Amino acid sequence: MKSPLEAAACAVNVGILRAASLFVPARQRMEWRSEWRGELWQARSQTSSRFSWAQEREIAGFCLGAFSDAFCLRRIDRHIYAAQTPRTRSLPLRAFSVESAWQCLLFLVALVGASYGLAQILPGVRAERSMPEVPVRSGLVLIENNDNEDSLSTISSGQFEAWKERKQEFFDGFAFYRVSRERVNLGPVSKGWGVASASSNLFALMGLPVRFRQTDASVDADLPSVILSEDVWKREFGADPHVVGSVVRVGLRRATIAGVAPVAPWQLPGQVDAWLLEPDSRDPEKGSGYVVAHLTPSGKSKMDSQQIRITSYSPHRSPDDLLGIRINSAARGPWDAFLFAVLLAFLALPAITSVSFGEESVSLHEISRFRRFCRWGFLAAKIALLLPLLHFAALDLSYGFFPFNVNEALYLQLVVTFFGCLFGMSWVLNDQRRRCPVCLRRVAHPARVGQLSRTFLAWNGTELMCMGGHTLLHVPSLPTSWFGSQRWMILDPSWKFLFAGPARD
Amino acid sequence: MPRPRIPDAKLSHTAAMILQAVDAGFIYGFSIMEMTGLPSGTVYPAMRRLERDELIDSQWERQSIADAEQRPPRKYYKLTGAGRVTLESSRKRYPLLERLIPSEEARRV
Repeated sequence: MKSPLEAAACAVNVGILRAASLFVPARQRMEWRSEWRGELWQARSQTSSRFSWAQEREIAGFCLGAFSDAFCLRRIDRHIYAAQTPRTRSLPLRAFSVESAWQCLLFLVALVGASYGLAQILPGVRAERSMPEVPVRSGLVLIENNDNEDSLSTISSGQFEAWKERKQEFFDGFAFYRVSRERVNLGPVSKGWGVASASSNLFALMGLPVRFRQTDASVDADLPSVILSEDVWKREFGADPHVVGSVVRVGLRRATIAGVAPVAPWQLPGQVDAWLLEPDSRDPEKGSGYVVAHLTPSGKSKMDSQQIRITSYSPHRSPDDLLGIRINSAARGPWDAFLFAVLLAFLALPAITSVSFGEESVSLHEISRFRRFCRWGFLAAKIALLLPLLHFAALDLSYGFFPFNVNEALYLQLVVTFFGCLFGMSWVLNDQRRRCPVCLRRVAHPARVGQLSRTFLAWNGTELMCMGGHTLLHVPSLPTSWFGSQRWMILDPSWKFLFAGPARD
Repeated sequence: MPRPRIPDAKLSHTAAMILQAVDAGFIYGFSIMEMTGLPSGTVYPAMRRLERDELIDSQWERQSIADAEQRPPRKYYKLTGAGRVTLESSRKRYPLLERLIPSEEARRV
């Protein structure tokens, strides 16, 4: 009688063998399974009757070897079958090798269509598309402590109050906000949100329109207003605009939902789910926060770069070293990220593949201008299809993983686009090098010619043939000064009778 | 179509070991694994290739024998004529082969 652990291990082993058997050609599968079942029995019978993990690991390792066997059998079967019926077999086997130019283009078009269709369905991509372009007011800076080692340094509320009171030459407006974790009661449930207690003028200072702003006079003016973030509005309230005007409890205080913050690719520091705009009469909460300031024209003239150093004196006349960082209105969106990644990929492309076709023709027969035009047109069409494919695929992936997190999605999009473009372009160029310049079909039937040891004495490399009977391609194994790159040999019509099918010109 | 191996073709050491093991009487996969110490992911694919090259031949054990011993039937392998010739040339190429896996006669002695 087997223990439950032993039975589970047996089931795993059988599962591994069954999974591996899926790679075995169908007509050999039953026999293959029988052989491996027998071998597994043999392996189990050699082990001790007591269950041990080390023993099970060994048996599992034995079963995993079945995958190598299955792949090997598949390769052997393919060679045998291809050798038996070369012409009839070659077509279905190469169904995905996009042999002809039209097949290749149609395949790419299908991929572009699929990725575009997916982009229309995914909620993250749709949200990104519907995101309004909200420009931030020019001349805004985020002020932080320069002597703080943290990347998100903060200013104390006392310091902020002192600035507000003092006459300023370079700034004509300040807003302060401080992020803390608060319990927010939404009817029967309460949730923890990142709540930013902010000056009431924050959105006005930044020039941001608040969506669905409540202008009803019946709203209690003494209650602070809550501006929801787009994410919370969608997640917690199902994007219902009628939620504006309702009263929620934030921590121990009641507040009125006054609108929804506009979505923009740029973000102020801090993970904010809602902005609690305090009435001006109320002192800002004690603690450290962030300061957004607006530059006067003289302040703008002083700030010639992205950063400005500011020295401020506290009420005790001690100097504080501060840093003002410009808040850019021209924030980067998915399109900019795409263009940037494509540019980087094109710059990096020579590092992974040769960008030159580096080919010569060793034939007296010339290719017509029309054929040359078609060839370059085909290359251009592949690149033209690859780029939208990458754009939509990267959007699908990045906004699929991070539906409402713009920053993370942008980073992922950048990485996916970069590597996709790099390897996609590499495929485009390699594919182009292997296409007959006359009919644009991929050349096939590689044959090794010569010996590596005689490279400098005779031709040594691989010879490929156009199945339309138009060309032979010679690819040197080792580039030499007299045979540095691949060469095309254009065959004249007298060769056509050697090819079973009619050669298409 | 199987491509028969030229009898004096050079085998890799692993393939030669497997051929020697079959000749020495280890005639099913697991026993060859045990004898040679090679992992399953090496032994079985190598045996497929040897069979493809017609150096070994396989045959299923009779069900009655397996039933009598209360186990699943085994697939047994044996050397073909071409396999024997190839093994001879491999033994010259790898002189330690016979010491690693002594033949049945040598083991009896």
